[in-house]
Amino acid sequence: MVDGMIKEADILLAKEGMQTALEAGASAARFTINRSCMDLVGTLNGEIDKVNHSLDSSMSIQLFVDGRYAAFSTNRLESAALKAFILKSVEMVRIMAKDEFRKLADPARTEKGAVSGKELGLYDDTYDSMTPEKRVELALGAVVFDKCSSAKCKIISEEGEYNDCVFDTIVMDTEGLFCRHTETSFEYGVEITVQDETEAKYSGTWWDATPRLKDLSISRCGAKAFEIAEAQTGPRPRRSGKYRMVVDSECSSRLLTPVLNALSGHSVQQKNSFLLDSVGKKVFGDGMTVMDMCRTHGETGSRLFDTEGVATTEHAIISSGTVNEYFINTYIAGKMGVKPNIEDAIRPKVMPWPKPGMDREALMKLCRNGILVTGFNGGNTNSTTGDYSFGIEGFAFKDGKITHPVREMLITGNLVTLWNSIIGVGDDARLCKSKLTPSLAFEGVDFSG
Amino acid sequence: MIYDKNYYLETFNVTEEMLRRLSAEGLDRGGDYTDLYFENTTYNTLFLRDSEVSSGGFLTDYGVGIRVLKGEKTGYAYAESTDYSAMLSAARAAASISQGPSLSRGGELADSQVAKLIRDAKDRAATYTPIEANGGRPMRRFFQGLPNPAADRYPMQNEWRKAEIATFIPYLKSLEAAVRARDERVVKVVATLSACQSDILMYNSFGEMKYDTRPMGTLSVSVVFSKDGKIENASASRSFMKGSEMLTEAIVEELAEKVTNGIDERFEARRPKGGKMPVVMAAGASGILLHEAMGHAFEADFNRKGQSIFSDKMGQRICPEGIYIVDDGTMKGNRGAVNYDDEGVPGQYTYMVEDGVLTSYLHDRISAKYYGVTPTGNGRRESFRYAPLPRMRNTYMESGDARAEDLIASVKKGIYVDQFSNGQVKIGEGDFTFFVKSGRLIENGRLTMPVKDINIIGNGPEALKDIAGVADDLKIDDSAWTCGKGQSAPVCCGIPTVLINNLTVGGE
Repeated sequence: MVDGMIKEADILLAKEGMQTALEAGASAARFTINRSCMDLVGTLNGEIDKVNHSLDSSMSIQLFVDGRYAAFSTNRLESAALKAFILKSVEMVRIMAKDEFRKLADPARTEKGAVSGKELGLYDDTYDSMTPEKRVELALGAVVFDKCSSAKCKIISEEGEYNDCVFDTIVMDTEGLFCRHTETSFEYGVEITVQDETEAKYSGTWWDATPRLKDLSISRCGAKAFEIAEAQTGPRPRRSGKYRMVVDSECSSRLLTPVLNALSGHSVQQKNSFLLDSVGKKVFGDGMTVMDMCRTHGETGSRLFDTEGVATTEHAIISSGTVNEYFINTYIAGKMGVKPNIEDAIRPKVMPWPKPGMDREALMKLCRNGILVTGFNGGNTNSTTGDYSFGIEGFAFKDGKITHPVREMLITGNLVTLWNSIIGVGDDARLCKSKLTPSLAFEGVDFSG
Repeated sequence: MIYDKNYYLETFNVTEEMLRRLSAEGLDRGGDYTDLYFENTTYNTLFLRDSEVSSGGFLTDYGVGIRVLKGEKTGYAYAESTDYSAMLSAARAAASISQGPSLSRGGELADSQVAKLIRDAKDRAATYTPIEANGGRPMRRFFQGLPNPAADRYPMQNEWRKAEIATFIPYLKSLEAAVRARDERVVKVVATLSACQSDILMYNSFGEMKYDTRPMGTLSVSVVFSKDGKIENASASRSFMKGSEMLTEAIVEELAEKVTNGIDERFEARRPKGGKMPVVMAAGASGILLHEAMGHAFEADFNRKGQSIFSDKMGQRICPEGIYIVDDGTMKGNRGAVNYDDEGVPGQYTYMVEDGVLTSYLHDRISAKYYGVTPTGNGRRESFRYAPLPRMRNTYMESGDARAEDLIASVKKGIYVDQFSNGQVKIGEGDFTFFVKSGRLIENGRLTMPVKDINIIGNGPEALKDIAGVADDLKIDDSAWTCGKGQSAPVCCGIPTVLINNLTVGGE
């Protein structure tokens, strides 16, 4: 068994721990065992710069005692130390106020088919045979420091990182829950800084990650990062005004995340959401359909269960602009007097619209003129109003083609208005991310600079 | 707080001889320097929601990180146990950064081999060669350090670990009551107490041992307000490297006032018309702009790698005369205080900009060796799981000689900002963006319409050159600032009222 995998002894320890908790007075308990192992090789300008080896283990413990609740975590997993920790934890729960809504998830709702951890096909056996030498070979093989050049700029630095890891998690509770999720990940990321003839510096980053080593596009990352850095040279100002906006799939999740946060049951219950009273209502434009594709075999981000052990389902969160649900866990369901579902969007995907198969170039053609946003730099969204303001980097485009880079620009508006002005959703979401947000096109966005 | 050495050796169940042997193991394949960082952290939290303290908990985190340096290259590994075998595995994993042959060949190092490895590495690390075949750069020593003890910058009257957690609950309830008493539009209150205490023991291949116990207490509150169907939120926090004596009715009242203050303006606030204009940054929390837009670019690792916009500006004027920017690890009880940094280097008061001239980067041991300077005590890490990096501590601009009201009065049309959040900077380009949570328009020298939810964008070096006035009212903001750079670190910031010409303000 490779390092980073949960051992039978860990499971026995958790079972003993649950028994200790029950004997000390707990009415219920949920234990989550985590183990992981990560190896990293970093390069700087074509040479090995760092090696890291990380081996982690921890146990998260949620205890329900006399109608009270608290959560604990420790990485001291020796039997005696864990027992003392649990006894102390049970005592701490007793100082909390009673909360009738704290309880384990209904066993009828929990996942029954996640036993080996490998059901979703996210574990690559190649991981077992990885060696330090192989990792160094991969990291150095990706270096482009001496290979990329351009008349416009020169490379100042190239900082790359290859890593591979295994994560293994088991959730167990005193009602008999047992769910396991095991996955490997292979990742390479690189940042390249270039300098142009005016001595101005620009940086570009690119990365790829996948559960299977054979799918890792490691060789194209450096060239892509260089291309991104080089493309930013010679930025020109762009007059403030309303423009059509295309947002690249690399960064478009920035516009979806605050919407999903506003659908969180915690936010809604605390009245800290701009989407209060939205379920069943058409809030966004026709082009906004978000599916949770959480059980797709072999894909990054897929999960069979949430942190309570509740089974996930593939379903529509938002359909053609209509909000179908909030994310409600067992606790929030009790507090709000509604039915529970899943505590969060697991692997949300914004569906292509109005037709499949478009990428950012197709969206630029659709828009003809406007600004392509390739990155966000700072900014925020007001969680109670949906008003946003983000710094952006990107390019002006005309007749569907990029004309020049822009810098020091901001976009400002409201997320509900923005998602109502959607004119195109691409089909080019990056599969290395757990949020599948493709390139997006919007009408009439306020830019200032 | 500093206990005696044996407390730390017993906490981690190690002896000095074990530490020495582990250091040697790190050097076994040709490394120049090894250090060990032991950590035992306990962390308690209590949450008040819906008027009850009905959730909370604690965690423990324990382990040792072992780092081996070969020149400027780093090997790093950690163990979550201080069993010798686990630590030995970590030391050998870290040692692999050096590709040389192993003296031990996977077995136990003999006493004579331990002595030789330590002696040879000391010589190697201390060797000074003016110029070597190293890209023409001078090769310098690793900083050997200074003896114990450092000043105790975070003494605790009442240790978090020894306190009864139940005694903290009334403070959370008082905080909610104080907030509700101040404003009848309050809909929801979430109050949180986080209390952390870490025992740290550091040892390196020079034989230096440093140790201390670091407290961190944070009281925070988040409030949702409702008025005529409109909803607004606000939050505030106070964080100190102190024991539970920091919990007082005074801090409760201070937080309640801070979180309710200005809420009328937030309900009324609008987005202004955007464009380039002068910006007056209020004293205190606006210092986050200094941290993000300039401080990161002064961190020596970005400069060593040529990535920072300031990498070729040492010794040059980067802002007007009379401006001093400092990173201070010496302020007692401050969230950014360090007795020693996480490499065992004493905390210091480090000027980065003196009279407008860039005079120092922020160094860890690696960058200090690279530049041939003494490390500045900025080698910090999130936990034993991370190798240290140059990180800020408490970053601020010293007071100038203007008056805040005169700076405001000098602006015909601009923005006054008193709360920023979500700042970000591009290190190479120097471009920064900040979200303005609250502020006001300045029209003809007077503060007028409240503004919110806009961004300010600029360029670090250009903004520094465009500083037109610094007031005499430096204020340190003791909120729970946390810096992210691949790993988090508690920091602090501050600034006097400052006028900057020509920043871009986003708006309608």
